[in-house]
Amino acid sequence: MTKTRNAARASGVVATVSIAALLVAGCTRDSSAGGPGADDSASPGITDDSISIGISSPLSGATAGPGSCTIAGLDSYIEAKNAAGGFEFGDGKTRQVDFTYLDDVYDPAKAVSNFRQLLNDNMFAYVGALGTPTNAAVMPIAEEEEVPQVLLTTGARTFSSDQDAHPWTTGFVPTYATEGRAFGELLANANQPLTVATLAQNDDFGQSYLDGLNEAIEGSQVKIVASATYEPTDTTLDAQVTELAASKADVLMSAVSVTPLQVGVLTKAQSLGWLPRIFLPSNTSTPGTILQPGGAAAYPAVYTPSFSKNPNSPAFANDEDVKAYNDAFQKYGSKIATTYTPHCAWSYAEGAVLDQAFQGMKEPTREAFMTSLKSISGFQAPLLLDGITVDTTTKDDAAISTVQLVQYDGQAAFKPVSAY
Amino acid sequence: MATTTAPRSTTGTASSATARWKGIAAVGVLAVALVVAPLVSSPYINYQLSSIAVFAVAILGLNIVMGYTGQVSLGQSAFLGLGAYIAAYGILHGWPGPLTLLLCAVVPAVVGMLVALAAARLRGLALAMITLALPIVGVPLARRFDEFTGGSQGQVVSWLRAPESIGLANDQWRYYVVVLIAVVAFVLARNLVRGRIGRSFAIVKENEAVALSMGVSPYRTKVLAFTIASLLGGVSGFMYLAIVQYTSPETLVFATSINLVAAMVIGGSASIVGTVLGAVYYVLVPVLAGQVNSSRTALISGAVLLAVLFLLPAGLVSLPRRLARLRSSRGRPPQPPAHPTTSDEAAQPASAPPAATTDQHS
Repeated sequence: MTKTRNAARASGVVATVSIAALLVAGCTRDSSAGGPGADDSASPGITDDSISIGISSPLSGATAGPGSCTIAGLDSYIEAKNAAGGFEFGDGKTRQVDFTYLDDVYDPAKAVSNFRQLLNDNMFAYVGALGTPTNAAVMPIAEEEEVPQVLLTTGARTFSSDQDAHPWTTGFVPTYATEGRAFGELLANANQPLTVATLAQNDDFGQSYLDGLNEAIEGSQVKIVASATYEPTDTTLDAQVTELAASKADVLMSAVSVTPLQVGVLTKAQSLGWLPRIFLPSNTSTPGTILQPGGAAAYPAVYTPSFSKNPNSPAFANDEDVKAYNDAFQKYGSKIATTYTPHCAWSYAEGAVLDQAFQGMKEPTREAFMTSLKSISGFQAPLLLDGITVDTTTKDDAAISTVQLVQYDGQAAFKPVSAY
Repeated sequence: MATTTAPRSTTGTASSATARWKGIAAVGVLAVALVVAPLVSSPYINYQLSSIAVFAVAILGLNIVMGYTGQVSLGQSAFLGLGAYIAAYGILHGWPGPLTLLLCAVVPAVVGMLVALAAARLRGLALAMITLALPIVGVPLARRFDEFTGGSQGQVVSWLRAPESIGLANDQWRYYVVVLIAVVAFVLARNLVRGRIGRSFAIVKENEAVALSMGVSPYRTKVLAFTIASLLGGVSGFMYLAIVQYTSPETLVFATSINLVAAMVIGGSASIVGTVLGAVYYVLVPVLAGQVNSSRTALISGAVLLAVLFLLPAGLVSLPRRLARLRSSRGRPPQPPAHPTTSDEAAQPASAPPAATTDQHS
């Protein structure tokens, strides 16, 4: 009895093994992932009437605010254009864009997983993702699979500085060094002896700002008289600010990326009676969350780099692009991002750059897309400040490589800066 | 992995022979499935399966120190990150793979042992605080020593390509490497927790005074458990680098530790099968939540976590038993339900202490 049962079990195992062996022999993995309806020459993810675009950004966790905005702005542009009939392509066809977005919680392993998932679902190109470590993890796979990973919302130089080595990757927003350089130029052009104190995050984020500043002030009358660094995990920067205040420098460059710490710097310096002119990075200069709580109105001037219009500012209320953005955002983007960060405006502009790239695309392939994307120059994308244009033809810089310095007006907005 | 179903006794009775056949069959089917899966799956599926193997090993370490020995550890991500950084350093400097793997096991084990030598004198919250400090100290260290770690931009390491002669794709080759390491780790861990050392873990968890009276040093046992957990954490770091091909300070953030602890509890504390289920949960729930609504992944994951803890307090591993009990209690309502606290107890045949028959079913 037992014997027959055992025999039955054993034959069951044998059967399973043989089925498995047949599977191995019979099912070779389908490596060509061309979508239905695509002709042989087309890349995956594009058909005669649709193209699929993917993104993975943090939608939960500490960077959820900017992360959601990198999706919401892009989604607003794409859905509004889809609703208006679709995108015109260089090959004469009109296509709808399928936009898929995933949450990676700023975790590189999840970003890789999401990227693989999007590829599995026939993504044509990966556009606009936020985050330095997450994009760095995705970059080698994009290269290996020859998938465009473009217009990234990160100021790290890795993604733009050597486009011959990384032909499938481009950055969109100005690099951190560009921001630091813009500030250095303002000081150097003042043509007077100035002393500068710097406070920077102790990593390549902070170092990029310092590099940019140093490049610009080289040979001028501007001198750095005090420097301090901090760790993003620090709970307060009071010690660093006190040390810098002792230098009585005319100017403070506060390359701090953490919102509460930046507020702390602004409140601490004035409580010590030190009122320098201050430079803040574009990431941490939002009036509502940083300048007003930090009492920035007390300082003689607070500068920050900018390249986009703030759609909530009354100064731009009658601007056509801002109106179009606000309508589209109300209808589509507000479901994804609830609070405004500049990333919403940036990613909307990014949608327009993508549109340009589509218009120049002569064939439905990823190669043609990259060629077209890298030949845009002098393009005035919506929501960019006047005088700032998109130029993707350089081999060593992001799509937007210039910034304008703006100055806090003491309330809830910025005004242009002419000179120091 | 499924070796837990293998029989322990080798007496020649008919029933144990049947059980043994059953076990061998289960192991055979599982082995075939593990071997065949990557050949018929897409690179994406292979990446997910490989991720499950990676985090299963990290959770296995955590389970040894928390589930089996009953000590709190909130620092597992630090060892995972340490392993990943050692692997990255080794590969970028051209060290041979096996040597790198060995170092990824030994160095974190030594670090874990040094920490444990001090920390294991403490218990409860104090111990939790010490382990909590590891990832919190680790992240700024990883950012600061950028000549070793690549700073906050991390390090891309392109390696472990499939040898030309084998004819496998890279994702399949990496899958086989990490799954092989995981299977070895699980077999060793299973033997460990079922043997003398496992029994000393259990008695230390139960009552340290009793352990002392039996000649088992609670201190040494705890240090050993921590060392093994750190070793497995380091090995999982090596595997992490094998599939992600990238490491950065984000690898060792504290949130990863907490998520690993949650996954361990959800899978089933002090259970080998539960460890695998926990890893499946860790990898798949965020993916599934993203399928439902990408903007609400944290909310959905949290809801799933609460649901599992309410419905299956002993973890996913207790699901079959829970279903069986529901079925039998529906047949015979007066029978009191068993008390599901840990799977250690649950592993015994369901003997229901009357005192514990509270409102489990309400």
